[in-house]
Amino acid sequence: MSAKVKTLERKGSSLAEKIYFVEIFKGMATTFGHFWRNLLDNSNLYVRHYPEVEPEIPVRWRGRHRLTSHEDGTVKCVACFMCQTNCPAECISIEAGERLDDKAEKMPVKFNIDLLECIYCGYCVEACPLDAIRMDTGIYSVTDNNRESFVLGLEELLQTPGAFSEEEYKKGGA
Amino acid sequence: MAEMIKLFVNGNEVEVEAGKNLIDAIGAVGIEIPHLCYHPALGADGNCRMCLVGLEEGGPPLVPACKTPAAEGMKVLLDADHIKKIQHDVLEFQLINHPVDCPVCDQAGECSLQDYYMTYDGQKSRMTVPQVTKSKKMDFGCGVVHDQERCVLCGRCVRFCRQITRTGELGIVNRTDTARVAIFPGRPLDNRYAVNVVDLCPVGAMTSADFRFKQRVWFMKKERGVCHGCSRGCNITIDHNREKDQDDLIYRFRPLFNEQVNGYFICDEGRLSYRDENENRLTEARLSKTTISLDRAVTASLKEFKRAEGIVILISPDCSLEQMVSIKSLAEELGAPLSGFSDGYIKKGDGDDYLIQDDKAANRAGLTALNIDSSQSAFEEALAKAGLLINFNNDLSLFYDESSLKKLFKEKRVIGVTSRDTKLFQMANLVIPVASFTEYSGSIINCDNILQTFNRAITKNDAPLDMSEVAALLGGPLKTNGDRYDKLKKIVVSLNDFNPDTIPATGLKLT
Repeated sequence: MSAKVKTLERKGSSLAEKIYFVEIFKGMATTFGHFWRNLLDNSNLYVRHYPEVEPEIPVRWRGRHRLTSHEDGTVKCVACFMCQTNCPAECISIEAGERLDDKAEKMPVKFNIDLLECIYCGYCVEACPLDAIRMDTGIYSVTDNNRESFVLGLEELLQTPGAFSEEEYKKGGA
Repeated sequence: MAEMIKLFVNGNEVEVEAGKNLIDAIGAVGIEIPHLCYHPALGADGNCRMCLVGLEEGGPPLVPACKTPAAEGMKVLLDADHIKKIQHDVLEFQLINHPVDCPVCDQAGECSLQDYYMTYDGQKSRMTVPQVTKSKKMDFGCGVVHDQERCVLCGRCVRFCRQITRTGELGIVNRTDTARVAIFPGRPLDNRYAVNVVDLCPVGAMTSADFRFKQRVWFMKKERGVCHGCSRGCNITIDHNREKDQDDLIYRFRPLFNEQVNGYFICDEGRLSYRDENENRLTEARLSKTTISLDRAVTASLKEFKRAEGIVILISPDCSLEQMVSIKSLAEELGAPLSGFSDGYIKKGDGDDYLIQDDKAANRAGLTALNIDSSQSAFEEALAKAGLLINFNNDLSLFYDESSLKKLFKEKRVIGVTSRDTKLFQMANLVIPVASFTEYSGSIINCDNILQTFNRAITKNDAPLDMSEVAALLGGPLKTNGDRYDKLKKIVVSLNDFNPDTIPATGLKLT
């Protein structure tokens, strides 16, 4: 090991510092300095004014999930269970059923994602052979006051639109 | 022990059993030869060419392993370049018109074609012409759904219907890439073993309508079991899975090879009997229609014992030997007559000369071995004298209709110890839930006097007690399995060497 080690002199050993009294006022001076400056003009703040100003979500950001659909609005998912198999958090539970349009033989009749268990790793998106599940909704904040509403169902997943155009999404590395 | 011979595989000497073909002989020592059309129960057909192996010295250089008997000193080549090329090319041919719809195919995960592709082929399709399309999702009858596009034309299903069931409903029609497995117009599969073609099919061409899309096979846990559908006691694989936040459920029974008992197959009725394990189960004890805890149910039963003027105990012929001996001791303890009356379980003329038996009781031989009286007259006589009937899961409704049951139970108290919430047990005053046969370990004797043991396969969320434990709670003297075995050995002479750990998995023929 030959890392450069810089030894800093430890502060706070003098008597005036040990008494704290003067030091408290010094600290307060810094705090109030920032306070008055930002109160009079906050345009130079380094932090985001969340939630008034929302962050810009990049295309590759893994947000809340959605299920994609064919152009005629039918679900792309064929219930192959690859996402459920691949999910390390076991938050996806699917129930498959017979599909009667000629798109495929199989389709999900139930498709639940428990967002409280999801770790947003994106493995489901990678596992999907049909690009049927994506995390491109741009939704980063999922809040509610009861557990049940965190379980997304098939309808909800299908109705959430993507936040980006197809070209942008493809360019994002998908 | 069969005669052993020595031969060479890829230059390494292996010792194999004589009198088998190369696939079985070498397969037994763990070296796999890929094959699609060969099945030990159906014999070698040699149509798929997947099992071609090389022979150094003597004989032709290339032979189908399924049709070549293993011989002393044979030098078999499996990993030579020309053999690998053959396997690769055969698979490429098979996959020309295969839809490769593994994501929606039920066979995925247990598909020979899929496995072989990953092991022996692994290259992209070179085809540039459109694939030949055929019919999909054809209803073949008996709960078999056929997909002609996935078929590799190995003919296992066709041979099964000709050789095993001798009904011959299936055939391969047309030639070359229009060849397909089909039924005769208007004459679907019609035999009681039809769903076995689903297990036989090496690919996903035959799927079971019952299991279709229920589960992906890799989610399921596999456990050995013994079917309790009739007195044959066919060996089965119990495929079960506990889905998130749900109970442990069985999704299918599949046959498990046991030469002594059922060979490679089971009947369709037995296959579907898994439903009874999932549905309509009694989960909680009930005292005159109010749900009570097990402890209270036991206390209530003990009170009933005290109050009753004469008790009669009825036992199911489906019980394991351990349960029978526990209940027999309980009966002795209570001084109550014990009956195994179960004439209703016998369906005259239902059996055939293959697997299905007339007698739908799994362990009637056990009743006989334990000297439990099964006659109707003795049961009815004893019941007439008694005030309380304790019914250990015996389905009397198979014999008596509802009105005669009411007459039989008139002015009697009935305690039912059962796994199923049926009409019969709804008539009982007190019911206690117990485990069904996939949920306990035990041993039974089948119609051919073969003793088989099985282990607990399923653990339910609220796992009910084994019937012998309930018998112990009700005052039976046999508290542990050790006690039960000792007692069994004392009563039954032929079980003298009986030790649950030493019984082979294939069963023990009792003399």
